[in-house]
Amino acid sequence: MTLTSTKRLGATYELQRGYRRMIYPAVIAVGIFAIVPLAGMFALAFSDYHLLRGTNWQFGFKNFARLLSDQRLMNSIYVMSILSFFGVATQVIIGTAVAVGLQKIVGRWRFGRILFLVPYAVPHVAVALIWLSLFTPTLSPINAFFDLFGITVPSFLTTQGGAMFAIVMADTWTNFPFAMLIILAALQGISPDLDEAAAIDGATRVKTFFFITLPLLMPALLMVTLFRFIDSLKHFPMIFVITKGGPGRSTQATNFYAYVQTFQNSNVAYGAAIAVTLFLMAALISFYVARLNQRVSQ
Amino acid sequence: MIDKSPEYRFKKALGVSMMLLLVAFAALPTLWALILSVRSPSAVFEPIWESPLALTLENFFNITRSDFPKALLNSFITAGSATVLAMIIGVPAGFALAKSRVSGKFIASWVLLLLRMAPPVGFVIPLFLLYVNAGLIDTYLGLIVAYMTLTLPLVVWSMWNSFAQVPDELIEAALMDDATLTQAFLLIVLPAARPGAVAAAILAFLVAWNDFFFSLIITRSSTTTAPVAVMNFISFDSVDWASIAVASIALTLPILPLMAIANRYIVQSLSGAVKG
Repeated sequence: MTLTSTKRLGATYELQRGYRRMIYPAVIAVGIFAIVPLAGMFALAFSDYHLLRGTNWQFGFKNFARLLSDQRLMNSIYVMSILSFFGVATQVIIGTAVAVGLQKIVGRWRFGRILFLVPYAVPHVAVALIWLSLFTPTLSPINAFFDLFGITVPSFLTTQGGAMFAIVMADTWTNFPFAMLIILAALQGISPDLDEAAAIDGATRVKTFFFITLPLLMPALLMVTLFRFIDSLKHFPMIFVITKGGPGRSTQATNFYAYVQTFQNSNVAYGAAIAVTLFLMAALISFYVARLNQRVSQ
Repeated sequence: MIDKSPEYRFKKALGVSMMLLLVAFAALPTLWALILSVRSPSAVFEPIWESPLALTLENFFNITRSDFPKALLNSFITAGSATVLAMIIGVPAGFALAKSRVSGKFIASWVLLLLRMAPPVGFVIPLFLLYVNAGLIDTYLGLIVAYMTLTLPLVVWSMWNSFAQVPDELIEAALMDDATLTQAFLLIVLPAARPGAVAAAILAFLVAWNDFFFSLIITRSSTTTAPVAVMNFISFDSVDWASIAVASIALTLPILPLMAIANRYIVQSLSGAVKG
């Protein structure tokens, strides 16, 4: 007995050293590849760096003060909020609907799952281009179809609302399968006995869904919503390809606006300040997600 | 409980038609891209029902004469390298985080999440300035390093989840038999977590393959990846829609089998419980 415990104690010390040796490369790599650029972003945000003019080495809160009175930033946050809200909401709703539908026929139709996964496999640039073609009146089969009945479909990309609608459609199309996957997994964890019990008590299917299934899905729904929401703060290819931020500057979401300031206006320091703002928002939300994750696992 | 009342039938029909609508929403844009890819260039702007036979495979041959195949190769090289490197560094780290009692695990999980969620524009600005000065713009190395910021946190995070599900007794038994930690990891634990490792590699490859932003900023013509090269089919005064459709299909095809393998693990790797 003493022998084994001594051995285990010795092993524990050795073990912890072994474990640390496995972690260090990742810590160093994350430090170089991720933390250094992030520190650089913060440093730039406080600087006066301009891509063409360089820097006078003056540091301060000037960029952040400017953020507060920037109308274009306010518009970008407005655009981002609209895109995030409608995009995430439709993805979660459609994802849930498909998951519930698939759950009912899952044994009979495995192929269905793959069919709904295809949009998730299409790279975002291709998604954006496909939807750009669908929203191009001279090309789109949708416009051609309605022309048969003498109905002229308006050109969506010429108004702010229409352009945002186009982005939300493309984003929804490619990302609802993500919601579907997570909801489907959650649905499969719910005991079918509950449905039966509710049916015996005389509850209709609709009532069963809203009062029994949906509350049980809440953790999964919350997870999907948070993940999708954080991702939607990073909107780039869709805007870049479908609207280029237009018409005018009306669909420049914050991430895109940071890109415009940095790489089109050469205003690196100010672009970094916008990125920092966006980063802090993501940090706050991800802290919440990490806490949530920890609580769920306990 | 066989219910054939009209009300039941109505509800059933409603459910089925809603599902069909969803199928249409999911499938029609893909079908449209497939049609576009085989349309004769002269008939692209005609509705398909007016000239249903104006089909051709010419578009597929045309694209092989463009820069796009080179860009596809670049995508494979950079996304593949970033995946392999992230696996080599990230898998042992995920194992150690799942099984050791080192402190600071909550901070580690937060940092990993944060890195996955941080806006890429934040990484790309300092990287761009660094690369301009270090001569790394338009190099494989520069792009692979940039992709590591995406792939490494993802691999560590999802392997952490996978290894947490391997029972501790398995490792203890191996250690009792005088195996070193490295042996236990390589010979016992890693094989047990192989499906999770395959999924992590696939997911890492997917994010790197999907990238548009990094490639747009830090590559030029010689190492540009396929998602950025597609944009070359859009010129100032015209858009080569047929080539865009072909290129979109070429971009998606390598992903489909990977997605079919990994879809079960996507859920696990994202929301799986991290044992704190």
